[in-house]
Amino acid sequence: MESRVISTIQSVLDKRPIITLESRLIEDLLVDSLDKLMILSALEDEFAITISEDDFADIFTVNDMVEKLKEVI
Amino acid sequence: MTLADFYNRLNVDKSLAKITGYNPYYQTINSGLTGRMLVNGREMIDLASNNYLGLASDSRVIQAAIEGIHTYGVSLCGTPIATGYIDLYQRLEERLSRFVGLEDTVIFPSCYQANNGLFACVAGPQDLIVVDRLVHSSLIQGIKSSGSKIRPYLHNNFEHLEGILQKSRDFRQVFVVTESVFSTEGSIAPFKEILQLCDKYGALPIIDDSHGIGVLGNSGRGILEEQMIEGYRGIYTASLGKGLANAGGMISGDKKLIDYLKYYCSHLVYSTALTPAVLAGINAVLDIIYSEFGDIKRRLVAHQRQIYEALLEGGFNVVSGEAPINSIQTGSRETTFILAKKLYEEGILSTSFIEPAVPSNQGRVRLIASAGLSQETIDEAIRIIQKIGFL
Repeated sequence: MESRVISTIQSVLDKRPIITLESRLIEDLLVDSLDKLMILSALEDEFAITISEDDFADIFTVNDMVEKLKEVI
Repeated sequence: MTLADFYNRLNVDKSLAKITGYNPYYQTINSGLTGRMLVNGREMIDLASNNYLGLASDSRVIQAAIEGIHTYGVSLCGTPIATGYIDLYQRLEERLSRFVGLEDTVIFPSCYQANNGLFACVAGPQDLIVVDRLVHSSLIQGIKSSGSKIRPYLHNNFEHLEGILQKSRDFRQVFVVTESVFSTEGSIAPFKEILQLCDKYGALPIIDDSHGIGVLGNSGRGILEEQMIEGYRGIYTASLGKGLANAGGMISGDKKLIDYLKYYCSHLVYSTALTPAVLAGINAVLDIIYSEFGDIKRRLVAHQRQIYEALLEGGFNVVSGEAPINSIQTGSRETTFILAKKLYEEGILSTSFIEPAVPSNQGRVRLIASAGLSQETIDEAIRIIQKIGFL
């Protein structure tokens, strides 16, 4: 799952540094609110699920995102 | 919670201005847009305003505005639905409809209000709004207020857009939202192709032509003319304060949509109507566009090219789109302010964009060389740009 999440994030973030599980969304990847929406939408498609934005309000790193996905899948 | 606690929360972070020694925002302007404008009492070259055609201080437009005031006074002191809907307002709506080639139009106090009010009126939680990643804040805020599901797509990325549309089947209505000209980039949306996708997937297109109206197309009618789009049945919005050199905004489209907005869009219904001077001023600008657009556009394009070449020679990383905008890629917030400061110190007023107006670390300094600038002014701007570039 980790690699799928990373490659999904990579697909919607152009011009960003290498993404790892430890990458912080705001500080390292410069993700803003619209980027985050794009990421969540892409994850919905990748995992064929529906995501509630509220569930992902308090995530800071890529790994947080993976853990949260594990809860909802 | 005390009153002091409340006010203590309202802090503006001005650290960037402190670090760079320059604050590009809320500069005091002491003159009109005459090419050489007075900024903080000092004469400067205006490469900042959206006065594309150079008509904001045109004597014919000023005279029309004065006559508007003589006939109707300075304000009707009412909303359009009450006392603000003067015959001049109605005639201008009809004229703007013909100008852009759509069935009907409603004029708003600003395009921000038009974009902000539109979505809550026509969309809801059962709908999906697919929107270009780089659209203006007014559209984003309006979209958010609708409660619809939002899916941004990568800027002008046709494949990403189609991928989203393919997977978006279970909504009452899908909207696709873009701008014609992305003003921080100078890029133009491939709108004709976007319309084909909308047709294919049953989505309703919405385009903001704020930087296209009065600028794009063979006769200045905007994006629909530029891309030879006929029979457009989507929604069209535009600012009346850029190429059209006045103030206000418009929404155009099918008569049924416009009638609906006139009664249900609270941003219109509860706002004091645009003033007679502005309505008359827009009317005069349209007269000039009808008779002189070819010459004006030639000057606008020539000015853009000259500034672009100077920027290249100066070693700047500049984006040259098809629109008459030169956008320098500056990256960080600090670099953006420092370049704007250098231009300011040498006598050029520019526009700085940092997040959230643009994505993080994708700062821009934008230069718009109005058709109204003299060749002498352009030559001086070129000398300044080259000098700064070689520093």
